[in-house]
Amino acid sequence: MLAPLPETRWNFQTVAHLLNRAGFGGPPAQIERLLEWGPERSVAWLVDYESTADPTPDPEWAKPDPERAERLREMREASEEDRRKLVRQNQQEERQHLMLLRHWWLERMSTGPRPFQEKMVLFWHGHFATSAEKVRDAYLMWRQNELFRRMALGNWTDLLLEVARDPAMLIWLDQAQSRKEHPNENFARELMELFALGEGHYSEQDVTEGARALTGWSFDRPTRRFVYRGLQHDPGPKTIFGRTGTFDGRNFVEMVASHPQSAPFITSKIWNFFAGERPSRVVSEELVAEFQRAQGEFKPLLRSIFLCEDFYNPTLIRNQVKSPVQWLVGSVRMLERDLPPALVCFSLTRSLGQDLFAPPNVKGWDGGLSWITTNNLLARYNEAATLVQGDPAPAAGAQLVSNPGANSLLERRLRNARTGGIEVTKLFTDSERSDRAALLAAIERRLLQDQLKPKQRQTLLEFLAARSVLDDRTIRDAVRLVMSTPEYQLA
Amino acid sequence: MSNQSQLRTRREFLRSTVLGGALSWTVPAFLANTIATLQANAADSLVQPVTGKDGNILVVLQMAGGNDGLNTVVPHGNDYYHNARPKLGLKADDLLKLNDELALHRSLTGFKELFDKGELGIVQGVGYPNPNRSHFRSTEIWQTAVDSQRIEAHGWLGRFFDNTCSGCDPTVAVNIGRQMPQAFAAAQPLGVSLETPQNYRFISADRPEGGHMSTEESYRRLNEPESEMSENAGGTISAIGGAATHPGGALDFLERVAMDAQVSSDKIRGIASRTEVQGNYPASQLGNALKLVAKLIGGGLSTRVFYVSQGGYDTHTNQSAAHERLLKDLGNSVQAFVSDMKEQGNLSRVLVMTFSEFGRRVAENASGGTDHGAAAPMFLAGNRIKSGLLGRYPSLAPKDLLQGDLGYTVDFRSVYAGVLENWLKTPSAPILGRSFPLLSPV
Repeated sequence: MLAPLPETRWNFQTVAHLLNRAGFGGPPAQIERLLEWGPERSVAWLVDYESTADPTPDPEWAKPDPERAERLREMREASEEDRRKLVRQNQQEERQHLMLLRHWWLERMSTGPRPFQEKMVLFWHGHFATSAEKVRDAYLMWRQNELFRRMALGNWTDLLLEVARDPAMLIWLDQAQSRKEHPNENFARELMELFALGEGHYSEQDVTEGARALTGWSFDRPTRRFVYRGLQHDPGPKTIFGRTGTFDGRNFVEMVASHPQSAPFITSKIWNFFAGERPSRVVSEELVAEFQRAQGEFKPLLRSIFLCEDFYNPTLIRNQVKSPVQWLVGSVRMLERDLPPALVCFSLTRSLGQDLFAPPNVKGWDGGLSWITTNNLLARYNEAATLVQGDPAPAAGAQLVSNPGANSLLERRLRNARTGGIEVTKLFTDSERSDRAALLAAIERRLLQDQLKPKQRQTLLEFLAARSVLDDRTIRDAVRLVMSTPEYQLA
Repeated sequence: MSNQSQLRTRREFLRSTVLGGALSWTVPAFLANTIATLQANAADSLVQPVTGKDGNILVVLQMAGGNDGLNTVVPHGNDYYHNARPKLGLKADDLLKLNDELALHRSLTGFKELFDKGELGIVQGVGYPNPNRSHFRSTEIWQTAVDSQRIEAHGWLGRFFDNTCSGCDPTVAVNIGRQMPQAFAAAQPLGVSLETPQNYRFISADRPEGGHMSTEESYRRLNEPESEMSENAGGTISAIGGAATHPGGALDFLERVAMDAQVSSDKIRGIASRTEVQGNYPASQLGNALKLVAKLIGGGLSTRVFYVSQGGYDTHTNQSAAHERLLKDLGNSVQAFVSDMKEQGNLSRVLVMTFSEFGRRVAENASGGTDHGAAAPMFLAGNRIKSGLLGRYPSLAPKDLLQGDLGYTVDFRSVYAGVLENWLKTPSAPILGRSFPLLSPV
């Protein structure tokens, strides 16, 4: 058993740590509330999220398309000229839907009532990293996102089975194209290498034979659903992990899920995501034991993690680089402001280096220190102005479409998008707004739950002292400056 | 000296030296240290700490969208070519002839001039096994330089930097554009991406009354190392163990990058604003990008790899006019850049290398365009390079085509290997994963 956090260490900083890692952070009032609740109740509120209603409606455009088969047929029969036009139209629509999908999810993270569920969805998205760049279907990306939400804290084997039959995944890793005569090994390989076991725990034969077992699992384009094509399945005997049998797709996925390396692999990755570093050997063994006791269910594992003392080790607190999504959503939550419009969010996260639904490759985002380059750091400092002052996004925005030179329309729209600044009177009391030292302390408490270094505090006090009045603009500038420090990039 | 005045002195030193005199700027201690690391690690210490004047420079030019190689380096005497392209086929008398078989597109006058002077190399039929026809995937394959079935997160240039200069100055790699190309992705990412120097900075709208302690002034102070001690801690950065950890913790790492950002921003903007270039660049995205690269090289930025890109090559419909415009822009931009390099006396240490994620189908389509294909030529420009036609033009005979596409005769990783070994002077196998036959650019 992992030792529980002693009550004496339940304080403003540790509560903020929990909220930052299990969710996306929160304003001081929320930290105070959890502080009052104590660890058990706070963690239960996060983890047992089913008891919190989430009335978020599905995106308006995300519907099955009953006329799709008909449209595909029309497209096939159209002249080449018309077909190209239809394809272009379709691509434009997909791009638009994808932008709305990103915003729909960011909104859920920023204002939704179940921050931990969304954080788990973000974890699974990075883990089973699937990109719309190849899938090219926003509806399927949404369905995968909903799968992660539905199964966020479910059973490991069930999750792997569902992911293996998920349409976006079938396209992303080419299982849709796998045939008895030419099994495509892409999914079989990544299932073992990246999703469940890690390199060195399977052989090339396991890949080849696993791919044979998976043949028949495919994707039906007209209905956009998983389909089993019996004629494409290779029913012959296969040897996987040294066992021989006429394994099918389900057998193979279950064999991977119950492989001895599977529990250490996934529990370590989860610990790393939430705690910010690889688990020690002792912690890792405890996590595996916990996971096995729970028979591969994630909920008890995550509850134990958030209640254990190791998770609150002082060396972990405020030592994780915020991902761009964490940076945006956390800032929105801590500044108690609206999420900016879809296009602004898209440009912002992209210039910080993270496109939701478009991870760089099947390995997902590297994360950690690799989020930070001189460029991305300056982008964070400049996008802080977007969030705080509500200025139009600075010209240093990201390239909005992958084709250089095809940006102008989106750019014009971006320049015209208005973000709106923070409401100073909502964030700071009258007395904080009339006293420089009190104001600085309030900003630190809200944004860092910690103090800056003496020299930085001195700089900010001098900055405030050089202004004749603490008007809204000065206060906004000061908030933006605190966000423009190395310290703010950590949570 | 009190701690406070030490800090102030140091800050003023940073500012005045970085923004000040032309080529006499001195780098702060820990940056000099990182450049020394680069120097020690690079096989032949090509980069000089102060001006970088002697180092070889690689300029990568991406032709995004999939360039139609057949209408770029045209096999004008080949009947298969004309049969496959009744509408788009280019006729001998409308081309810039290289020899009896091959010619450049008529709008590539810039390249033709370089070719005649021995300053252009054309690598023919470049591709890779099991070609992928998706823009996304094939670009990724070229950027990461791995076999087409494999996924690799880091780029070939990123791995080059990981191998040769961990912890060195970020301006060792500069991308002109908004998004860092995957080629630069690395375990310890380096490189600066900027569209214009004016955007690569802390942007603030300060009020005139700001004067003392403006927002920008405050940002600078907030992002300086706390003390000489943490500056010294910067000396250990060459020991960064990988993307996930940093000896001094994440904050220490962030402080270093914040300082790097400030210094490189000042440096790049300083150089760009005081360096003049003469070249006659087209008023295009590519022309502007190469003009900026020329300024940065002329001003002495110690960059080893620049990256520029030109988009629009995905010519599925009505290709003729669009392709002509693109190639004209390409040839004229590179020509202007080469002439500036010559003017500066830098041409002998500059190599321009172009690539596109794939060529296009041999047969034209019914919309006056071409669809995604496979092998295509790469161009090399410079005056210390192997000029002329390199490699072998792929066969257009229908029996030799692979699903209607040209088969490759040179693996692009042979070109990369040649560039790494003989231009960047670094063993290529650790970067490319194995040895490839070298196609040396020099």
